[in-house]
Order: sequence, then structure tokens, then C-alpha cells
Amino acid sequence: MAAEIGAGAPLLEMRNIRVAYGGVHAVDDVSIDLNEGEVVGLVGGNGAGKSTLMKTLSGAKRADSGQILVDGKVQSITNPRDAKALNIECIYQTLALADNVDAPANVFLGREMTSALGDLDDGAMEDATRKVMARLNPNFTRFTQPVRSLSGGQRQAVAIARAVHFNARIMIMDEPTAALGPAETAQVRDLIRQLKNEGIGIFLISHDIHDVFDLSDRISVMYHGRIVDTVKKEDVTADQVLGMIILGKKPDEVTSEEMAELQFGDAPTQ
Amino acid sequence: MTNVADAAPAPGSSGRARPGLRGLGAATEIDVRLFGMVLALAIILIVFNVIEDGKFLRPINMVTLAVQATSVAILATGMVLIIVSRNIDLSVGSLVGFIAMVYALLMSQWMPDVLGMGSDFPFRWVIALAVGIAVGALFGAVQGFIIAYIGVPSFVVTLGGLLSIRGAVWYLSSGRTVTGLDSTFQLLGGGGRGSIGGTLTWLVGAVGVAAVIFLLYSGRHQRRRFGFQLRPMWAEVLLAVLGCGIILLLAWFANGNYLPPGLATEYAKEHNIPVPPGGLKVSAGFPIPIILLIAITVVMTWLATRRRFGRYVYAYGGNPDAAELAGINTRLTILKTFVLMGVLAALSAAVASARLNGATLDVGNSYELYVIAAAVVGGTSFAGGIGTIPGAVLGAFVMATLSYGLSFIGVNSPGQNVVAGLVLILAVAFDAFNRRRGGGSS
Amino acid sequence: MRIPRLAAVTAVAAIVLAACTSPSGSTGGSASAGASASQGAAACTVAVSWNNFQQPRWAAADQPNIKDVVEAGGGTYIDHDANLDSEQQLTDVDTFISQGANVIIMLAQDQNAILPALQKAKDAGIPVIAYDRLIEDPDILYITFNNAGVGQAEAEALLKKVPEGNYVLIKGDPGDPNASTFLPQGWEAAGLKDAIDSGKITVLNKDGDKWPDNYGTFTDAWSTETAQKNMEAIIDKANADGKKIDAILAENDSTAVGVAQALEGKNYGFPPLSGQDGDPTNLNNVALGKQYVDVWKNANELGKAAGQAALQLCQGKAMADITIDVDASVAPLDGNSPTDFDTPGGNTVKSLILQPTPITAENLGDVINAGWWVTKDDICEGVKAGDPGADACGV
Repeated sequence: MAAEIGAGAPLLEMRNIRVAYGGVHAVDDVSIDLNEGEVVGLVGGNGAGKSTLMKTLSGAKRADSGQILVDGKVQSITNPRDAKALNIECIYQTLALADNVDAPANVFLGREMTSALGDLDDGAMEDATRKVMARLNPNFTRFTQPVRSLSGGQRQAVAIARAVHFNARIMIMDEPTAALGPAETAQVRDLIRQLKNEGIGIFLISHDIHDVFDLSDRISVMYHGRIVDTVKKEDVTADQVLGMIILGKKPDEVTSEEMAELQFGDAPTQ
Repeated sequence: MTNVADAAPAPGSSGRARPGLRGLGAATEIDVRLFGMVLALAIILIVFNVIEDGKFLRPINMVTLAVQATSVAILATGMVLIIVSRNIDLSVGSLVGFIAMVYALLMSQWMPDVLGMGSDFPFRWVIALAVGIAVGALFGAVQGFIIAYIGVPSFVVTLGGLLSIRGAVWYLSSGRTVTGLDSTFQLLGGGGRGSIGGTLTWLVGAVGVAAVIFLLYSGRHQRRRFGFQLRPMWAEVLLAVLGCGIILLLAWFANGNYLPPGLATEYAKEHNIPVPPGGLKVSAGFPIPIILLIAITVVMTWLATRRRFGRYVYAYGGNPDAAELAGINTRLTILKTFVLMGVLAALSAAVASARLNGATLDVGNSYELYVIAAAVVGGTSFAGGIGTIPGAVLGAFVMATLSYGLSFIGVNSPGQNVVAGLVLILAVAFDAFNRRRGGGSS
Repeated sequence: MRIPRLAAVTAVAAIVLAACTSPSGSTGGSASAGASASQGAAACTVAVSWNNFQQPRWAAADQPNIKDVVEAGGGTYIDHDANLDSEQQLTDVDTFISQGANVIIMLAQDQNAILPALQKAKDAGIPVIAYDRLIEDPDILYITFNNAGVGQAEAEALLKKVPEGNYVLIKGDPGDPNASTFLPQGWEAAGLKDAIDSGKITVLNKDGDKWPDNYGTFTDAWSTETAQKNMEAIIDKANADGKKIDAILAENDSTAVGVAQALEGKNYGFPPLSGQDGDPTNLNNVALGKQYVDVWKNANELGKAAGQAALQLCQGKAMADITIDVDASVAPLDGNSPTDFDTPGGNTVKSLILQPTPITAENLGDVINAGWWVTKDDICEGVKAGDPGADACGV
């Protein structure tokens, strides 16, 4: 199951990451790490800084300061290409698919297979896509349709196929089940477990506390750009995590009044 | 095969044969929208032919029409990529005007008077064309840089280009008409001598037939290599027969266009052929500008569908964020589309100025509108990500056919403009209707 | 969303383009500040208010002639360009008055907006010459060309050459009254319509029987390219119908260039073709035999007439007593002194209306010898022995 935090360096370490938009610190001195075959749930309210933090890892946003280490080595990630070169793949909440082109074109977007003369090798790309899809979603057949015409789950599969095909070692999944129905959600959960078993380290951003408890090994809670705490799943209850999300305090810092208020107040519905 | 057009081929995977036209479209994987445009063009031609008691569909008329469409069609191939990637280029007409004036001044004044390159200097037309292409690429690069790297909307940048480049034409010539191009350069505009002749026309036809068969064969080979579902054999044969048939028909038709009597007599003298009573009939074949247009269409289609550049243009148009996050250098991609547009403007200007044997102050005036109209009639969507190059070329031919045909039957320019405007709206409305009915989500 | 905005902005763009590309070639007060004013009778300052000096014609022909005549007569010449701006023109006239102008020559940007300026001049006792363009006021002197005479001269020249046969009529922009009304009026005055009615002449390109609306083909924006395309279609149609084109009446030079190029591209030969403006390319085409006649408004002489009239007004002559001395080819039909002209606005003004000059290969030599704004090199480019202009060009 979850890989032990071993003697060697973790798969990924982010140290003292800061990102400011204007004068506001969206991410303020955050450090977090991830091991092989581990799922780290990243939770927090809207604007807590989860997505911004992950964007610095995927290259979509440059950190103002801080270090990113992969296999213990400091790496510079300034754009999506850098991240991909380090086998860091991100599945965005929006899926970041070009709706007007088909699944193989999306899977290989930016990393097309070409012939010796530089012409696109669509046959090879479709073939590779078929192979990876056979693992992810065997029912998927619409390889030559623009992805616009696909269902939410199928689109999700295309986005994940992109990460899987390129041998992601570190995968970021931003709200992977938010747009899906129950059956498709179950499919994606299975998929995450499968990827984890293959040794991929996964950051899971989710509003769904059940998803997080179900899938994660550790949970990091963010509040106003900072990490409140990173805890092992088995050490906390869902209510305690909710408390951290809403109050921005560790469980042992929360007063009984605050806890009581939380119980009677409107529980977060998401 | 990846299809970037909106009207994608129906999936071959459904297995079930569907009846009627749709089934036929599914089996042959013909782009239904493109096929519809060819059909519409054919209907327009036939209607004019009926109105004119069969005097319209004659080779000489069709050659005139095709050459008239060329300048706009060349630009439309580039405009598709500009619009697909969510930009617009309003400056193309002015750029055509500027480069046309450069050609005219270069060959009538600068070369003979300043550079000492008289009319007997070899390859003057190549040098002129190279200069024009460089100028076009430079203007395109400057505009593209401002749009892609500084982030000024293309509408604004190219509107500025429309104004300032047209103004610059005035300074080139002080508003005067400049005439007298190199005689070889003039062939780019067609005209009496600017056709490739009967033999070469058949040769071009043969190359086309070979290309169709090769493409079908390699497509089938590719599918077999990966074990994908193959087209039914009858569909392959149908496509081959149809493709080759159309090409050979066009070549035969173009060869029904004969040299004007005066030139035919000169030709007879040059080749020591006795002139029979009633005049010598020498096939003129495809005009050179049409050969140029065919070459440009092939190259642009290849760039758009078979190269990374084209894939990135379409992906960016479909979802700019996705393209960026996929690690595509989107700015460079956008810059390239404008450079390409500048190069095409130079080629379009070559045809336009060769036709005029020079340049006036207003060459290319309001081309941008015709070019955008051609692209849109050809199925390019302003929402981005959708549009094909053959579609845009067909769009340019639809517009040119209407304009030429209405001129032919004697409808004056106000009437022509009314029709052109209505066709533009009709074409887009038809698309919108189709998309809502067919696509569901958009 | 994008299309209407595009259309709107393009329309705006066209206006901006027209306005902002104007090089203000002439600025006020370029004259020698009355240094030699003592020489003439009384010091005479002649001021010219241009509405749009960007058009090459003004700098090339009108301005130097007015200036030369005024300065040769001991006067001082000043001018200013309003750059298509009516309000700027009012300011310019104010400035002229304060600079002590004795006569003001106005090329009105807007014939109504100019009226306050005219009133100011009249209040200051300064006579005003409406140059090239009418101003509706009984007190002005109107110096212009006989514009209806242009169309008449075009058609007369062609009808004389080709009295019977198939004509093609190429008109200019449908939005320009010159194209749709005035030039066809001149054609009619030359007898074209009578020849059509009597069956001597058949117009090949017409879409009905209403004169002049249904006769001829319009050319949007007077564009050469459009004229070429239209003419190609007309030639194809004539060939399809087995008809021969005997003459082509084109309203102006830019369309005539397109027509000539269409004829050349189709190796049709060159039936007699008309034009107007005296553009170098077209005069060259006349010499080469590609165009038969080019009607030219000799703006040099118009400028001279205005300069002469201004000097005489300075000397205190009444408008009716002015006499101008211009080339015989442009001399007004009613003599060299102003005559009464009834304006469309119901005024009667003194006017000098010069005649346009039809230029064919026969009088091309005169144009070359006069050294007007087109040089011999331009006119004779590529002319070979046997071409209609060979004599005039001396080859």
C-alpha cells in the first residue's frame, strides 16, 4: 500500500514556495513533499492557494521564491515544458483539452509523434492512444471525433491518458471528479488507485472530503496561502480536517467553543 | 487520421451501415461540409449557365473566373489559420497594395534606373518576387510580434496596419499609377500568354491522379499497419474514381480554352506549323496563377494538417489555455501565422500586379473583407479552432463566381453587393443551424 | 459579434485613412512677406484656402500657377491647407483676414459650413473666388471647369471615331453623382442617347432600358482592379454572344486603365476607349494606342485664370470687368470675361467656366510641348514607330 517514507530522498519536495499576486500572497512559504506511490490530498477553502501551489509545480505559474526538488535534486520549473521534462503531469480541473481536435491530438499535444521528415504521424499517435485508453477506459471508441463531442468521463479519460502515456511520475489531479456522475466518479477513483499502485506520486486537490479520505495517504490542509498542517489520514477524523479547512488551525489549537460553533454552524456542503 | 475540421467524418467504428447520403459520407469519410460547398458551387454555375442559355459554362469563361478568384483565394488560405487561432488580419489588402507597388517600382524603375538591371537581366522576376516575399514576411513579423508578444489585440494592430500601410503606398509612388513589369513576371497574372499549354496541363492532371492514388493507398496502408478499421473497398474505389475523374475533367476542360487567334498565329510561326483555314486551335490549358494557387493550397493544407505548426494553430484556436499548458510556444505559433500571411500577401500581390502590369494606389483595396468573407463562407468560425483551407479556397470561388456570373448576366455592382452580402449571411447561418442540430454541445 | 464590429470599424477606418494620410505640403506664409510690394500698383495679398492639399493635383498644377501669376504681378501669395476639416477652414480664413489678405480664393470643404467664413470676408470687404467648387452666395466669383463638358468631350470623341456599333459603358462608383448623373448627362449631350435610340449604337452592358441608370457597368470606388474584372466578364459575354466590341466609353482614367489591361490580357485588340484626368499612364496609353481619348481638365490654366482674376480684383476692378488670358484649348465658351451663372441654390453668380481638353494622339504633341505636369518621358515610355503617338514622341 502506501510506500513508507524511506531513507532516500522523497520523490518530490517543494520548499518555501511563495507566490504573490499583486500584494496578496496566494502561496506564502509553503513546503510540501510527495513519495512514490503516495497520494497526498490537498484541501482548503476557495482561495486557500491549492491551485496556485500546484501551478508552480506544473509550470503554469512561476514561483516568486522557493525550491522544487525532484529525487533530491533542485530543479527549475518555469514553464509547462520544464515540468513535463521532469515527468510531472497535471490534470487540470478544466481538463485543458482542445475541444476541436480528437483524442490522439490532445494526448500528444505539444509532444507529437512525427515521421523522419517532421510530418505528424497520426496513425502512430492514434495507435498509442488506443493502447493507453485500453488500460484507462476500455469502452472508449471515439478516437477520431473532436473531444467536444465526448462525455465528461471520456474527456477526463483523455486528460488522464495524456499523463499516463508520457510516464508521469508525479501527477497533479485538480478536482478530478467534480464534473462527473456517480458511475464515472467510481471509475476515476479506481483509476487513481491503479496509478498509485504503479508507483506514481499523486497530488489530489478536491473539495470532496470523502474522495480525499478514501484515496489519500496524507492530507495537507491549506488556509490563506499557508499549510495549516500535513497529517496522516489515519491520525485524523473528517471533522478535524473540516475544522482545519474552516478555521485554519490545527486540531489541538481549536478551542471547544470554536468546535461547538462548527458543529452547529452551517457545515460546508461541498 | 486526425480531422481538425468541425465537420469531422462520422466514426467508422459504429459498424452499422447507415442509409443515404450520410451513410455514403460515413463510408468514404468525405468532409460533408466541403462536399456541400462543391455542390453549392456547381449549382451556382449551372444556374448561371441556364440563365445564359448554355453560354456561361465555357472553358474561357471559367478560366477568367478562376483567375479573378486567385488573389483573394491565396490570401484566404492564410486567413483561415489567422481566424482559427482567434485573430484577424485586416491589413492584408493594404499589404497587397504595398507589395504590388513595390513590384511595380522595382521592375519599372529601381531595377533598370538604379540597380542597372535592364529588361535583359536574368531572373529579374525571381528577384522581384523574393523582395516582395521578404517585405511581406517583415510586415507580418512586425504585426505578429506586437500581437503575440506585446499583447495588443490583432484587430487593433491590423486595423492600424490597414491604415498606415495603405498610407505608405501613397508615399511609394506619390499616388501615381506605375506600370511596366518584367514580361516573365506578368505571366503570373495569366493573360494571353500566361497559361501552361495543353501538354503540361495533362501532365499536371497526371500528377494529380498519381497523388490521389498515392494518398488513398498510403492512408489504407497506414490503417492496416495499426490494425484500424479500413474503409470498405468500394468506398476506396469510389473515392479514387471521383478524385481522378474530377482532376482529369478539369484538365480536359482547361484544354478546351484556346489561345486567342493572334497569339495562336504567332505560336504557329514560332513552331513552323501551317495555319489551317478557320484558324489554329492551340490549347492554353491551366493559367499560371491557377497553378500557383493549387500549389499554395496543397502546401498550406499540408502545413495545417500534417505539421506541428498547423496542429498548434488549431489547438490554440480550440483552447488557448490548453495549448499553453501543453507546453506549446503559443506566441511563436501566432507570430508564424502572421509571417505566413505576409508571405501569402506577397504572392497575392504578384498575381494582382501582374494582371494589371503594374500597380495603382488602390490595388488590394478592401481585399480584407473579401478574404474574410471567403474564409467564413468556407466554414471558418470566428469562435476559433474551426476552418479548413480547401473550404476557404472554395469560399473564394463561390464569391468570385457570384461576382463574375452576375457581371456576365449584366447585374450591376449594387446588385452584386446585395447578393454577396446575403450569401455570406446565409452560409454562416447554415453553419450555425447545422452545428446546433448536429453538434449538441458546442 | 465580430462581423458588424468589423464592418463598422472598417467604415471608420476608411474615414480615418482619408483624413490622416494628408501631407500638409503647403503651409501658410511661404511667400516673401511683401518685400517687393512697392513694385506693383497697390500691395496685393492673395490668400488660398485649400480643403485637402493631399491630392497630388493641387500641388502639381493649381498652386504653382496661382502663385506664379500672383507673384509675377507683384502680389504676395499665402495659403493654408484645412486638411478636410471645415472648422480648420474657418480658422484659416480668419487668419487670412488678420494677415491683410486682399483677395481670398476658397476651395470649400463644405459649401454650407464655409458660409460664416465667407460672411466674415465680405464684412471685411474682401472679394472671394470660389475655386473649382461652388459656394452658394451671389457675391462670389466662381471659377471652375465645365464638368458636364467632360462627359460630352469623351462621348463626342468616340462618336466621331465610331459613329455606329457596339458600345460598352464603364461607369465609376455608384455613390458618386459624377458617375451616375453628370458624366452620363454629358454623354447624352454629345448625342449618345440619340444614337442609341436610333439604333446606330447598341450598348452591350445594360440591364434594362432606363437611361442612364440601366446603361453601363458601375465600378465600386473607381477601382482599376474592379474595372478590369468587370471588363473581362463583359468581353467573355460579348464573345459568348458572338458580338464585337467597337468602342468603350469609360468615365475616368483609373477605370480606363483596368479596361485596357483586360483587353490586353484577353488579346482583344484595342477598340477606341475614353477616359478623363490626364494621368501619365493614360496619356502613355494614348501614345501606345491602348486608349483613344483622354479628356483633361487643364488645371494649370484654371490656376492661371484664378491668379489673374485675383490680381484684377485687387486693382479694384468689378467682377464683370475682369478679363482672363488662358490657352485657347480651355477658353470659356462665353468669352474671357465672367458671365452670369444660375446656381442650383437659386443664386446668380459671376462665373468663368473653362473647357476640358480632349487629348488624342493627334494633339498629344501639344501636351508634350506645353510641358504640363506630365513629362515627355512618361507619355512616350515604350512608344515604337507605328504607334499612334510615334509622331508626337518623335520616334
